[in-house]
Amino acid sequence: MVSRGLRQALIVMRKELKDSLRDRRALFSIAFSIVIGPVLIGFMMNRVADRQREAENVEIPVAGQEHAPAFVEWLRQQAGVTVTKGPLRAEQAVRDGMYDVVVVIADDYGEKFQESRPATVRIVADTSRNAARPTHERVRALLQRYSAEVGALRLVARGVSPAGVQPLRLEEIEISTAQQRAAQVLSFIPMFIILAAFVGGMSIATDSTAGERERGSLEALLVNPAPRMALVAGKCVAAALLAMTAVILTTTLSANIPRFLPLQDMGIRFRIGREEFVGVLAAMLPMCLFSASLQAAVSTLARSFKEAQSYMGVLVLLPMLPGMISAVSTLGQDPWMYLVPVLGQHVLVMGVLGGRPEEAWAFTVAGLIAVLSAALLIRTMTTLFKIERIVFGR
Amino acid sequence: MIRVEGLRKRFGTVQAVQNVTFDARDGSITGLLGPNGAGKTTTLRMLYGVMKPDAGQILVDDVDAMASPQDAQTHLGVLPDGSGLYPRLTAREHIHYFGELHGLTGVRLRDRTEELLQMLDMHAIADRRTGGFSHGERTKVAIARALVHGPRNVLLDEPTNGLDVMSTRAVRTIVRRLRASGHCVVFSSHVMQEVSALCDSIVVIARGQVVARGTPDELRRQTGHENLEDAFVALAGAELISEEPW
Repeated sequence: MVSRGLRQALIVMRKELKDSLRDRRALFSIAFSIVIGPVLIGFMMNRVADRQREAENVEIPVAGQEHAPAFVEWLRQQAGVTVTKGPLRAEQAVRDGMYDVVVVIADDYGEKFQESRPATVRIVADTSRNAARPTHERVRALLQRYSAEVGALRLVARGVSPAGVQPLRLEEIEISTAQQRAAQVLSFIPMFIILAAFVGGMSIATDSTAGERERGSLEALLVNPAPRMALVAGKCVAAALLAMTAVILTTTLSANIPRFLPLQDMGIRFRIGREEFVGVLAAMLPMCLFSASLQAAVSTLARSFKEAQSYMGVLVLLPMLPGMISAVSTLGQDPWMYLVPVLGQHVLVMGVLGGRPEEAWAFTVAGLIAVLSAALLIRTMTTLFKIERIVFGR
Repeated sequence: MIRVEGLRKRFGTVQAVQNVTFDARDGSITGLLGPNGAGKTTTLRMLYGVMKPDAGQILVDDVDAMASPQDAQTHLGVLPDGSGLYPRLTAREHIHYFGELHGLTGVRLRDRTEELLQMLDMHAIADRRTGGFSHGERTKVAIARALVHGPRNVLLDEPTNGLDVMSTRAVRTIVRRLRASGHCVVFSSHVMQEVSALCDSIVVIARGQVVARGTPDELRRQTGHENLEDAFVALAGAELISEEPW
């Protein structure tokens, strides 16, 4: 009896997959959801790389160049630096966004420099603008270096070793801002992968439940001597298989992003190697069973195909939640999170891609919870399929 | 062979079926005749196990359909009311799908499919997707998939509803052929001519009750009307239809 039910579930699954693979509109939306994530991420990464390049080849507008010709000459000689004429009203120009950074040399620069008193050089910048930050840092470092070099020369001129006034030798180990931004971009990947699972399973989940009822083929199907559980399970597993396919393809595409972008040259570490790939799938594949069953159960409860589709639109927001929360506040890695389907998977995938994969028990717990929730949903749907009001519509 | 006794079903405050009893013999066509909303579809739905009766008994070839509905379903071929198809599957795939769910595989399934395509004269449309089918073609597919497991008992809920003359004749031919090969056919309709032309025995249902049973001749005699339509009107209740002659 059990093996007969299993065989019938497989028959239903095969039919739903065949049916849905002929649905061009559904396939198009799945393909779109697979491609959109990696493409957006690639685009954003490219922007990060561009900015990094911009910061290296910096153009510095300097106002009041006539007061410090030696300093301007030194600046010009630095690699990657172009000095241009600065605007008259530097602050206004930066505020208006015409320049990221403007260097202003004070009128009394020459006088004070001659007297070996601190001469004023202003860096006008709006550091709330992300784009301005790398340039600003570059300019600041350049000015500090000039200041230190001139200071050392003055000491040497007075017969003092510059080493004496340098009690500390600073060594910066730079975790560059470009890498931070790359990490920020990468934090979208788990969201896109989970999104692919939801969009992938959507068409079968709605079409085989609310759609089947609306077409009037459900009644004929239920006349077959098959346990309701077999029919429901076949439909849910078919939806889950499409969701899994979408997840695998999205992850594969994401893994290939470095091929198309010169990220390595920019010093951005991004790699989905074989281990990361396996890790992502280990986290995500069980969740596909959950997401597909959830979509099918919700569609079964919907009064019409259209209503089911609008519920799907709301459900698709679910995978966005962890991503949105982590954008405002830091989403930790508390163990309780593994007990919540979708959230658990988000945390797991984040860990894998961040190079700090969780331990095996976390994968096991999150996977088990997802599969058990899916089983519970399938049981609930089986009951729903016995309620006349639901089978025949309301 | 189908036996129905004291079948009852209530939806909320509406008593849709109240005490329906009839027999349908093998090798004969039994017509369920009644106006729209009389309870024909509900009665059939309880027969083929998608609705649970509040009371009564259903025997399908001596299987208690309420105790073991799936067992009963293996003995039943059903064309439900307004049965829909999968527009992206071909006619042949529809027959295969239901055949497989009934446990048919391989050569047996292929042979049975061929047999049905032959019997229903469907070879020209067998491998086309049903999305663009006419109503008549869709009905043929629905009948074919209902018969794929060679059931002894066949339940057809308004099979000719909305069909054109040619398709209606085709369906009648199928029904007669099923009788000739010894099947028990139960056929519901609200069209008198259809039922009187086709059925060996008629069960008239009105307001959820069996108001008369018998052969067409017996019904005429019972009501004293020569015309079966008048007999039906008399049985179904005057308030339902009162058509003055003009």
